[in-house]
Amino acid sequence: MPIAEEGEDMTEQASFIKGEIEKAHRTVFLTPWPAWVSGVFLAFLALLIFMWWQTWGIAGGFTNWGDWFFYRLGLYESAPQQGVLLNGWSVSNIGLLVGAFGSALMSRQFAVHRAPRLEYGKGLVGGGLMGVGSAIAAGCNVGGFYSALGMLDLGGVIMMIGLFAGAYLGLRYLLWEMEHVRSAAQSAPHRGSGSGRDWSRAAPYLGVLVFLLVLLAFQAYSWLGHTQMGGLLFFGFLIGLVMHRGRFCFANAFREPFMTGDSTMMRGVMVSLMIYVLGVAAMKWAYIQPPGAGVIHPFWMGSLIGGVIFGFGMLLAGGCASGSLWRAGEGHLKLWLALGGFFLTNSPTTRLLDQSGFRELLGGGVFIPEIATWQGGLVLFYLFSAGIMLLLVWNEQTEKFTAF
Amino acid sequence: MPEQENLQNIQADHVLDTKGLSCPMPLLKVKKTLKTMKKGQVLEVHGTDPGSKNDIPNYCKKHGYQFLGYEDNPENYTRYLIQIE
Repeated sequence: MPIAEEGEDMTEQASFIKGEIEKAHRTVFLTPWPAWVSGVFLAFLALLIFMWWQTWGIAGGFTNWGDWFFYRLGLYESAPQQGVLLNGWSVSNIGLLVGAFGSALMSRQFAVHRAPRLEYGKGLVGGGLMGVGSAIAAGCNVGGFYSALGMLDLGGVIMMIGLFAGAYLGLRYLLWEMEHVRSAAQSAPHRGSGSGRDWSRAAPYLGVLVFLLVLLAFQAYSWLGHTQMGGLLFFGFLIGLVMHRGRFCFANAFREPFMTGDSTMMRGVMVSLMIYVLGVAAMKWAYIQPPGAGVIHPFWMGSLIGGVIFGFGMLLAGGCASGSLWRAGEGHLKLWLALGGFFLTNSPTTRLLDQSGFRELLGGGVFIPEIATWQGGLVLFYLFSAGIMLLLVWNEQTEKFTAF
Repeated sequence: MPEQENLQNIQADHVLDTKGLSCPMPLLKVKKTLKTMKKGQVLEVHGTDPGSKNDIPNYCKKHGYQFLGYEDNPENYTRYLIQIE
């Protein structure tokens, strides 16, 4: 083949590869993912974390941050056992935030989103309530509900009821606020950020850079003998990406049945749980992980009270524990305040419950297969899931539960 | 949802400003405002939350409102246009 033709061939191949990369970028980052697709990936990643380490949760990371914060202030006598970069939940939280940031850059959706003053207040208070609720329920929407149910802990079912109740009350508050609070605090301080039009063109390249930095961080962890933590950073990163692309949001899941009747997100959560439970059952039944792993949730009082408080808080904040993390990564300042409120209340409440002995009054973990056998427990779980799905679809058609 | 060319010429009967608000406030306000409007009227919503680009069209589709389209404004917000059928 003459040399000139070979050169043309090369440019043809290069433009073919470029075209394919653009197509892949459009599919993954410019087209929104359906909720259930995110749900399937989320279940897969939560299972990987369970195999690699232990049960995935988020509030535990915030407890760690709060512990350090108050220790540094001199209010706690002893330092937390693990550093922020060596506590598994903390590390996967950091990964989640960075993953959402990277994904928002890749999707050209990253921007510093400012909010009206009232919204900042709601972020802080909502985050604070989530911190208290998750301390009482021994977990947030992830640890206390999603992973609890995934681990076949009955407390997860109770927290689900609490979250629905809290979300309903939170929605009633938002409706009240719309009617009665009409102050300057509601109007937006919006101004065009206008800093450089080329920013959004460059954003995807920065997103690739973020990805490479996370891979580098994994290597660094590995060299330092903390491969497990490095893996958690990476899995957290992927969770952030998956949640951001599907705008996967538990606040939305628990709120929409009351607000618009729409149950798309909640059905996505249920699909995710149905896979998560199957995987956990396989691992626990086969003793790859101990059957009692993650079965720590305070059935029933703690899960219920904590669920209601948490549900109300996530409606004020406009995001649950995971949703606040990925939205913070997308640049919403209100959700940064929610994260702040979360760790400021979570750590002292956890401490208070543990030291006062109140924790025991709230209840303890109940492993479903222990009371209903493995066979019966799994059948019950899938019947429960099917029942919830039917109820959601029925409500979508009749709007029986919508608040206004 | 494709951006449509003739959105600029549409005269709205009501303009709702949700700039700076994030989920769920924009959709909550849209639902409430739409309920007070009459058949044939057009609602124009201004918003900055990326989530609204899915939420608002989906809501309209499921609840029988005609979603006319959205366009990104050069001043960093998005205009959404909805007509009551």
